[in-house]
Amino acid sequence: MDPEVGRQSSNSGVSTPALREPERAKLRPRSLRRLRPFAPFVALVVLSLLVGALNPRFFEFNNVVRIANSAAIPLVLALGETFVIILGSVDLSVEGVLAVGAVVISLLVRNDSNANALGWTGAALAIAICAGIGCLSGLIHVQLRIPSFMATLGIWFVGVGMATLALGGSTVRVLDTNIRSLALTRLLEFPLAVWVALSALGLAWVFERFTRIGRYVYAIGGGEDLAVLSGIPVKRVKVVIFTLAGALYGLAGLLSAAQLGMGNALIGSGRLFFTITAVVVGGSALTGGEGGVLNTFIGVLIIAVLANGMVLLGISPYVQQAVQGLLIIVAVALSIDRARLKIVK
Amino acid sequence: MLSVKNVSKTFGVVQALDDVSLEINENEVVGLVGENGAGKSTLMRVLAGVYAPDRGSLQLGGKSIVFGSPTGANLNGIGIVFQEQSLLPNLSIAENIYLGQERQFVRLGLISRRRLNAAARRQLEKVHADFDPRTRTSELNFAARQMVELAKALALEERTDRHLVILLDEPTSMLEQRDIDILFARVRALRARASFVFVSHRLEEVLEISDRIYVMKDGRVVAHMPVADATVPQLHQLMVGRDRHAEYYRESRQHAPRAEVVMEASGLAVDGAYREIDFTLRKGEVLGIAGVIGSGREELTRTLFGFLPQTRGKLRVNGREVRLNSPSEAADIGIGYIPRERRVEGLVLPLSVAVNMTLASLQAVKIRGVISPKRERELAKRWVEKLHVRTPSVDTLCLQLSGGNQQKVVLSKWMNARSRILIFDHPTRGLDVGAKEEVYELIRDLSDDGIAIVLTADTLEETIGLCHSILAMRDGRVTARFDASPGSKPSQVDLIRHMV
Amino acid sequence: MNDFTYPIPRRTFIRRAAVLAGSGALASMLPYRVYAADKVTLVNSIRSLSNPYHATWNQGGQAFANAIGADYVTLVTEGDSEKGIADIRAVLAKTGGNMVLNVDPNDSPDARPIVEACVKAGAYVVTQWNKPADLHPWDFNPYYVAHISFDGVRYGEETANALIKAIGGSGGIVALGGILSNTPAIERKAGLQKALDANPNVKLLDLQVANWKSSEAFNIVGSWLTRFGDQMKGIWAANDDMGTGALEALRAENLAGKIPITGIDGIKLAVEAVRAGEFAATVSWDPYWQGSMGLAIPYAAKTGKFESVKEPKSHREFYGTGSLVTKENADEFYKTHIESAPKIDFDDLWGRVTGQIRE
Repeated sequence: MDPEVGRQSSNSGVSTPALREPERAKLRPRSLRRLRPFAPFVALVVLSLLVGALNPRFFEFNNVVRIANSAAIPLVLALGETFVIILGSVDLSVEGVLAVGAVVISLLVRNDSNANALGWTGAALAIAICAGIGCLSGLIHVQLRIPSFMATLGIWFVGVGMATLALGGSTVRVLDTNIRSLALTRLLEFPLAVWVALSALGLAWVFERFTRIGRYVYAIGGGEDLAVLSGIPVKRVKVVIFTLAGALYGLAGLLSAAQLGMGNALIGSGRLFFTITAVVVGGSALTGGEGGVLNTFIGVLIIAVLANGMVLLGISPYVQQAVQGLLIIVAVALSIDRARLKIVK
Repeated sequence: MLSVKNVSKTFGVVQALDDVSLEINENEVVGLVGENGAGKSTLMRVLAGVYAPDRGSLQLGGKSIVFGSPTGANLNGIGIVFQEQSLLPNLSIAENIYLGQERQFVRLGLISRRRLNAAARRQLEKVHADFDPRTRTSELNFAARQMVELAKALALEERTDRHLVILLDEPTSMLEQRDIDILFARVRALRARASFVFVSHRLEEVLEISDRIYVMKDGRVVAHMPVADATVPQLHQLMVGRDRHAEYYRESRQHAPRAEVVMEASGLAVDGAYREIDFTLRKGEVLGIAGVIGSGREELTRTLFGFLPQTRGKLRVNGREVRLNSPSEAADIGIGYIPRERRVEGLVLPLSVAVNMTLASLQAVKIRGVISPKRERELAKRWVEKLHVRTPSVDTLCLQLSGGNQQKVVLSKWMNARSRILIFDHPTRGLDVGAKEEVYELIRDLSDDGIAIVLTADTLEETIGLCHSILAMRDGRVTARFDASPGSKPSQVDLIRHMV
Repeated sequence: MNDFTYPIPRRTFIRRAAVLAGSGALASMLPYRVYAADKVTLVNSIRSLSNPYHATWNQGGQAFANAIGADYVTLVTEGDSEKGIADIRAVLAKTGGNMVLNVDPNDSPDARPIVEACVKAGAYVVTQWNKPADLHPWDFNPYYVAHISFDGVRYGEETANALIKAIGGSGGIVALGGILSNTPAIERKAGLQKALDANPNVKLLDLQVANWKSSEAFNIVGSWLTRFGDQMKGIWAANDDMGTGALEALRAENLAGKIPITGIDGIKLAVEAVRAGEFAATVSWDPYWQGSMGLAIPYAAKTGKFESVKEPKSHREFYGTGSLVTKENADEFYKTHIESAPKIDFDDLWGRVTGQIRE
């Protein structure tokens, strides 16, 4: 017995745990810690109100539609990235796979450069190919044990290279009216692409919350050793997630081709930064195990609102890039649990 | 019912288990004791399916069985509650209990959370834990998580017809007394539906809860007896082969400290932790600080090494008034710190013995501004000899050493840096009896050399045995001072009275 | 239990990473030729082949090489200055200087080390678009033959004028600029400004930077529609990619063709848009010409057809000719330049010189 700890008689019926906070939490009141998961949502609301106060046209319905439209493709991309990040990995191949998707679609459906006219079949095929590329990323990471950072970096360039090779560097125009209708036809005032993105969000949410693989993603992100010991097929889960991400990037490629009416190798250029920013700003931790698709949804909206807001307010282009960079720093600073991190690298 | 038959297991050159045989019957608690390195943890892991034996076998109901993986062990009714906890902090209680087992709750490809939580609640009831199964485990304290782990192990009942065997690996080392009592109550109540194997350093606890006891030493089972036949001294004898008595603390080596004062505190305070602390520390003196959790003694110790600068009062070191704002400031003026979590705070485990030993005194091994590996190793070899560090070589990585030897490396790091004041924070925690004695010897050696020591010990007995003087603390203040010279040592009762 | 370390030995890791990097590089490399020491090698160095502009540039170079029966190599920088310079040095070494280089440097400062390396190796070089202001061909006779650029100010102004005409001479317009620090972005914007200064009835409502990308232009135009609504009569874009992005944004709101757009670069999509009445104008640099004549000129110098030192400064640093494509000439232009490869007289070295580059 440890005599120095005063011997107190115990009641063996004690059942409720003392939810004792660790020492450091004395520094921040309980209520604030509970609020942290809502911080991104609060930020979104505050931002919207701010922009709207300075330019009331922000709240016009047409503008809401435009914001939604500008957020559709980033949302689909970020959904794929979210799952990879919760796993504890990262997927840098976003731009490459999106390019492959857009290029393949533009070559398979009715276009101005060949005689194909595969319509939706072509689209499905393109998405399947992108899923295959995602699967390849996953296999390289899992089987060859190459860190996801490197594996997906390579796939990124391979993707852009493949897209370049396919088109010889030029641009192909998409003429298929069905595909274009995703961007041009509206349902309840919103372009179909927005509905597609929202459907993807809904399915992703169900996947995250109610399927076993969804659970396993969090388990692996929270403690991979433990997951392995619990009999979870970690390798299989990882490959499935990367494949899913690839499919989502392919879907984003479809939406891009529809939106811009064309396919070329650079169509995804610059998207990676915003994809990862959206995931982080929304509250998913880059270390894995935390966050989710709803978080990402908020993150994407924050970025879209910010971009729209900066134009509405006439903010100088010179300042805008700095603002975007600041956004990511502030978002991460507010969301990480600094009390737990003793060492910061 | 569950037998270990002549199992051996080797890791590289280390023979962790050597022809070990063991029996676990239904509805009993089997205690397993032994020094660190005796093989207890390895044996547990073999039983849990984490390791496969190199030789020998496991038998269930008389039939030979191979687990192949922890899941295999689970399916045969064996669950383990690890010493370092194994719950995923970002998942809920229910998700943790059923991790990997969700299939039973799946309908049409989707998990029914309602049924998952309901099932989890049923498991928690078995341990009388009234938690909401949707709570994230990161929000629970250690004791609560322990209960969840127990519930998780018990959940195995539903997956197998076999009799349940739950392995408890050092479950009490981080618990407070009240929680230990709760745990024991549960174990006793659950004996009706499961057998337990209880591994612990705390012999008194093992005696309290077990029906039979196995003693291991150097990878072998050296004794086995019903609990009625066992006493602590006897167990000690079996574990290390020596009696534990006054000489355990080398009291005969305790000499009077020198006159020179090296550290002085007056009115020292940290708001919210402790206040009005006065003491003097002389060369060669061992000053003990006794107190329960919340008495302020942990914080006082941290102030002395620069982790928690005082908010009021004065601290004098070697005559000069100081306010230590960081450990490096403390190190600069000759104070060293032997931490309680040596794996985290004392050593860089993936680095070698030599590197760790010279970490606080790199000046000594530099030639023209560049660290000389040769000098580093020579220095290290000297310390290895002086402190009898058991290591294959000075290049061995510290993570391969046993706890006691790691502690010695930490000590030599500071002695290398020529610290004249050492703060010992629970220096023998997690060490086996033999290693503890070596630490006590070293403390006497240091004292003889004129090094002053401030000791926060694991047990009152240790404090009384080792120190020249003792401060008792309660609620942030010093409530009593004791002179603990050999021959006039206070009793434990004397101290306790001023601590609670 | 909870320590997680990668057990791959470092060597294996490095090997695997190298394989991966190598296969990535493979995707961006083009057919690799063995260099004959006696045959002249023609080398084009450009940003990438992933965009139509440079892809056409490359075709021009290939055509010229075929015409004279020389070896042809394309180098891509992928936006990486170091890579661009290193690749050029490698080719110089392999050919022993028996080559001719036409380079569109990734960034202005790159031109100097490239020129110096060529001069040292005795290779003839022409630079296009980007170079430092104090680097002049006439200081590096005879090897640094010429620098070709296009007057961004002039064409920025010409497209702006076309836009102003299309909106009837008065009203509010918006502008999409390229990457702020790029010379073409700065020059074209200056040209726009000149046109605005000359037309006081036209107001610039806003300028936003879309970084040369159509997807960014798409989003910006959406926000503009909210902010300006009917006030926005025309959109000036510093390049065609941004212009087409703007066009699609309009199309999504059924406004395509109702608000005229201008771009610059003369890509196929833009010319088609001009024909369809959705673009008011674009400017073609004729990258086919850039890719072919950019090699023909230094080749002529190498083979002694002229001596660099004897040419006037207006042949050493000059603006080429861009073609303004408007409704009037769009059909014709489409036939001659898009549907077929333009016919270039490779012997007409100075036919498109419009003037010396401003100091």
